[in-house]
Amino acid sequence: MSPLEPNSGEQGFDSQAPPYWRSLEERDASPQFREWLEAEFPSAAEPGALSRRRWLQLMGASLALAGVSGCRWKKSEILPFARRPAGRVPGVPEQFATAMELGEGALGLLVTSYDGRPIKIEGNPSHPQSLGATDALAQAAVLELYDPDRSQGLIEHAAQAEGRTWDDFRRFLASQRQAWKSSGGQGLCVLAQPGTSPTLAWLREALLAQYPQAQWFEYEPLAWDNPRQGARLAFGRPVRSQLVVDQAAVIAALDSDFLAWHPAAVRHARDFATRRDADGPWMNRLYVVESTLTVTGAAADHRLALRAGYVAAFARALFERVRQGLAQPAAMPLPSAGQPKAERFLAALAGDLVEAARQGRPTLVIAGPHQPPEVHALVHHLNHLLGNAGKTVWYSEDPRGTALSAVEAIGQVADQMHAGQVHTLVLLGGNPVYDAPADCRFAEALRRVATSIHLSLYYNETSRRTTWHLPQSHFLESWGDVRSWDGTYSVVQPLIEPLYGGRSAIELTAMLAGLPTTAGLELVRQTFGRLVSDRRAGPQADAESLWRKTVQEGLLPESRFPALDVQLASSADEILARIAPVAFSGMASRAEAADRAPGLELVFCRDSSLHDGRWANNGWLQETPDPVTKLTWDNAAWVSPATAKALGVKTGSVVRLALGHQAVEIPVYVLPGQAAGSIAVALGYGRTAAGRVGGDTAEGVQPVGTDVYMLRTRAAMHFASGVVVEATGRHVELATTQDHHAIDTVGLRGRAERLGELVRQATLRYYRQHPHFAQHVVHHPPLESLWQEPMYEGYRWGMAIDLSKCIGCNACMVACQAENNVPVVGKEQVLRGREMHWIRVDRYFQGPVEDPQVAFQVVACQQCENAPCEQVCPVAATVHSHEGLNDMVYNRCIGTRYCANNCPYKVRRFNFFNYHKDLQSPENEVLKLLYNPEVTVRSRGVMEKCTYCVQRIQAAKIAARHRGQPVRDGQVRTACQQVCPTSAIVFGDLGDPSSAVARAAGSDRAYAMLAELNVKPRTAYLARIRNPNPLLEEPDTPS
Amino acid sequence: MLYYGGSPQTTDVGYAPEQPIPYSHAVHVGQLGMDCRYCHTNIETLATVPASAARGDSAGAMPPPAHIALPTTEICMNCHQRIAADSKKLEPLRRSAATGEPIRWVRVHDLPDYVYFDHSAHIARGVGCVSCHGRVDQMDVVRQVAPLSMGWCLDCHRNPEPHLRPQEYITRMDWTPGQSAAVQGALLKAKLKIQPSTDCSTCHR
Repeated sequence: MSPLEPNSGEQGFDSQAPPYWRSLEERDASPQFREWLEAEFPSAAEPGALSRRRWLQLMGASLALAGVSGCRWKKSEILPFARRPAGRVPGVPEQFATAMELGEGALGLLVTSYDGRPIKIEGNPSHPQSLGATDALAQAAVLELYDPDRSQGLIEHAAQAEGRTWDDFRRFLASQRQAWKSSGGQGLCVLAQPGTSPTLAWLREALLAQYPQAQWFEYEPLAWDNPRQGARLAFGRPVRSQLVVDQAAVIAALDSDFLAWHPAAVRHARDFATRRDADGPWMNRLYVVESTLTVTGAAADHRLALRAGYVAAFARALFERVRQGLAQPAAMPLPSAGQPKAERFLAALAGDLVEAARQGRPTLVIAGPHQPPEVHALVHHLNHLLGNAGKTVWYSEDPRGTALSAVEAIGQVADQMHAGQVHTLVLLGGNPVYDAPADCRFAEALRRVATSIHLSLYYNETSRRTTWHLPQSHFLESWGDVRSWDGTYSVVQPLIEPLYGGRSAIELTAMLAGLPTTAGLELVRQTFGRLVSDRRAGPQADAESLWRKTVQEGLLPESRFPALDVQLASSADEILARIAPVAFSGMASRAEAADRAPGLELVFCRDSSLHDGRWANNGWLQETPDPVTKLTWDNAAWVSPATAKALGVKTGSVVRLALGHQAVEIPVYVLPGQAAGSIAVALGYGRTAAGRVGGDTAEGVQPVGTDVYMLRTRAAMHFASGVVVEATGRHVELATTQDHHAIDTVGLRGRAERLGELVRQATLRYYRQHPHFAQHVVHHPPLESLWQEPMYEGYRWGMAIDLSKCIGCNACMVACQAENNVPVVGKEQVLRGREMHWIRVDRYFQGPVEDPQVAFQVVACQQCENAPCEQVCPVAATVHSHEGLNDMVYNRCIGTRYCANNCPYKVRRFNFFNYHKDLQSPENEVLKLLYNPEVTVRSRGVMEKCTYCVQRIQAAKIAARHRGQPVRDGQVRTACQQVCPTSAIVFGDLGDPSSAVARAAGSDRAYAMLAELNVKPRTAYLARIRNPNPLLEEPDTPS
Repeated sequence: MLYYGGSPQTTDVGYAPEQPIPYSHAVHVGQLGMDCRYCHTNIETLATVPASAARGDSAGAMPPPAHIALPTTEICMNCHQRIAADSKKLEPLRRSAATGEPIRWVRVHDLPDYVYFDHSAHIARGVGCVSCHGRVDQMDVVRQVAPLSMGWCLDCHRNPEPHLRPQEYITRMDWTPGQSAAVQGALLKAKLKIQPSTDCSTCHR
């Protein structure tokens, strides 16, 4: 019996709404969805620009030409080194350790370099923040490195001169420095991006020592200011919270997406997932309160959709309830069925926290960066009250503790600029013209600055308005250093010479300060020398070997921040007094009332792909669907179904959002699970000078998405209330992939009922009682094959994907794209369902539209043993290997697409165009360096799909043969497995009973998707086990 | 007719392009008796891989090189600094040594881009250079002697015995098996557990 049946029954198979659904269109069985479902290639059926006859004519002509040109030798050359660098063997990839910084965090990386060009980024397994995994953003950094739209030279606008050299700039700077010297740097401002580099920190001091009147500000739009101020409020001094997620039995996340948006998110995800193992000693329980559905909210056992503005009141209520409960446990109110959901949720969460505290089990309460400082302070109090300090959260120094907040910094610098007090502004990276708060009027302020110098990777919105633009070197081409969130020190090591002669921020700062050396390596070595001499007074030789070890291994051992013993410096009541006493019980109805009232709330979200907009020109990231909305190439105003109904809009309706004097027009996306009365918009879109991918209006490239920074003000950096929404009556199409590749087993209605067969899940309690439930979801008669079943000798490659661990973060999608040369197709093609990702993350909603649960399922080729694709290929372009892979032979494929039509998992992708054609134009030449030479670059008319990274399997097999040993477990890691922050994917030899994958595939939770088709997939899924609070099981929520 | 016209037997065998320096393997190897490995340096590492691996190799280490390197200018100059130092034919070599610019050799043996060939896998199993490249030691101008077609590859993958030899004779162009090649090959095949794969993904990815 299916564990879902009793509840599904209550939900009602008889009712029209299916228990699982991917989109509102599917739930309501709209005609558009039907079209997606019934046609494998919907757009192929449409009357296109080319008739079939015309197409055949064209094909005939190109075939004739190919015949003429194909018979002669094509001369190609081999260029051996005149003098080969020591240790370099042509064609042998090497890995180098480096690190990538984002905001106040940093991730240790290992970068694979092929004949001197970095092509693939992996996490550094010995780095504590990475543990071998990365996020999607780090995976896409190689594309950024080779982006042909990167700035390629110095530009001096005042002289209207391109083609300036660094020597020209040095001469210019020399004259400036004379002036600064005499004035003490009066009127000189540096606006940097907050970073973690100790080198930049001492260079800043050196600069300010030279020019005492100069000022240094740091701004980024997604700053970590609220947590910092909250800590100061609670402890009287700035400290940084370090979370130990794997020790927490109960986690309460208050508007915190700590699994995806946090400087230590990758580590959090790993630690979280280790406690999502239903077969482990214990499972954690996650409660999330948030306004918009995030990755963390999707992973939650219980989620409460609440306007961001009400989260403070919720925190207050939670604190009071817990304080009371710890004092008088017997008096704790229990959730009861008649209460509104918010009340029940609060009672259950407080009860769980108190219960755990009484048993001495640590819990963890986390507040997100959107929430004001008092919420963070209250959360510190709560963690102390629950005895979590030192167990699930420890405190370290905060290197930016005394810095101005980002809002104060940008406000002050803009005010001074407006007042004409700034003569020279140096911008180290960043893009404030685009992303500064609108009320700073930064572009206008910039016009009042005589000399402005912008160091930037791209010639962006800000660069175009400064007097000097300087190309910045990418982190893969420059020396630098970082300290990750926990303080671990890493040296950033270049993999390649700067492609366009760029300089790094530390090099430019050294130039400004007039230091004798401005070479990045020298500057970092000086920092390292100081760092090490502080640690131990060793002889010089020791420092040298320690440096080499640090560079080679990617981190300085024992450089983590020490734990501080901090005491609460304020009383909880002082903090509580700062939070408006909103009666909590009234909140739910207030939220509902807000649907009709004009007082809607607007929340500015970080975009899962573009972050704050800096990656707008990265095609990989633009095409990566948002984890929850599955939206590509666009942002939208996310509204809840109820709010949408109240406003009379639907997905794609363009609305006018007005806040104060500013307004933007943006399409609506109706998002199940969005808090009623709250509208969320992702930052980072609508770039007008990003490049040919993200938008460049000067070149006639329309911006991708809508810029919502113009609604963001200093007073409301995170969320604002009182936004006025008006429908414009226009409608646009949003490129969302959520209905693409929907798996249809038995027609629309039957499929809706049976989606639970694809994603199998149960509660921990049910699983304990029925450990084999996953194998009994589908019953079928004994399966007989029509075909002779293949025999296997040697390795039997297989994969297992743990749905309990997967958080849907998309890192695997981008990793696969980088490893396998998967092309970007663009918004138009995505709209036609032609995206090329070999691995996709299916997102299923379950339950009521306003408050659904979410399940993710990663789907790539399942490498069926009885593969339906192989049986229909007329040219044997997809054939079975002796190790059980469905090999793709691209050069044989003639593009009939029969295989895709016959694939029940819908994992085959067809090259409708030659997506690599752009490489032929000279300005894109540089992109060729990006490609993985171990994987064929597919051309038009060819089918392609996941091969379990067969190039990695072959390399490992050959290496193992040389050692005279079989491939050991763990020696082949697929790209998706390697990057996975939660280790949800395991891969290996199913024939080896001791391998991790064989053990996973043999677990009680393992099931094969669509096993009843007898295709015998090699990929096993491990059923998702949730750990809900038994007191909160709601009749409309499947157990 | 069409098939014949397009077959690698016709299009590729015999390809002997003019090289920037008229380097003669016949002179260097055939007459002077130089070993292949003096110039094609990384074959040495390949041939000795099993031995070094036996000493213990770390897990996940990179495989030995799939490609055989052409000699660097430096290697040529080891001798030609003294020998034929003023030869007009060696002008490109001296220029390369002076400027550091590589010599632009013309590729003779070329496989399509969708084919992934690994020298190390073949050498380690005892396929000699001569099996694919022919008697290079007798060539004044290197030319392609084997069609390097898929059918030709598969012939050997299906029946490797006649093409196997002991490791120490890998680079010997004139080596002949003491007994029947097939018998000796069968012994080597059994000893090294050679099972050439004919799966598509062995060469195509």
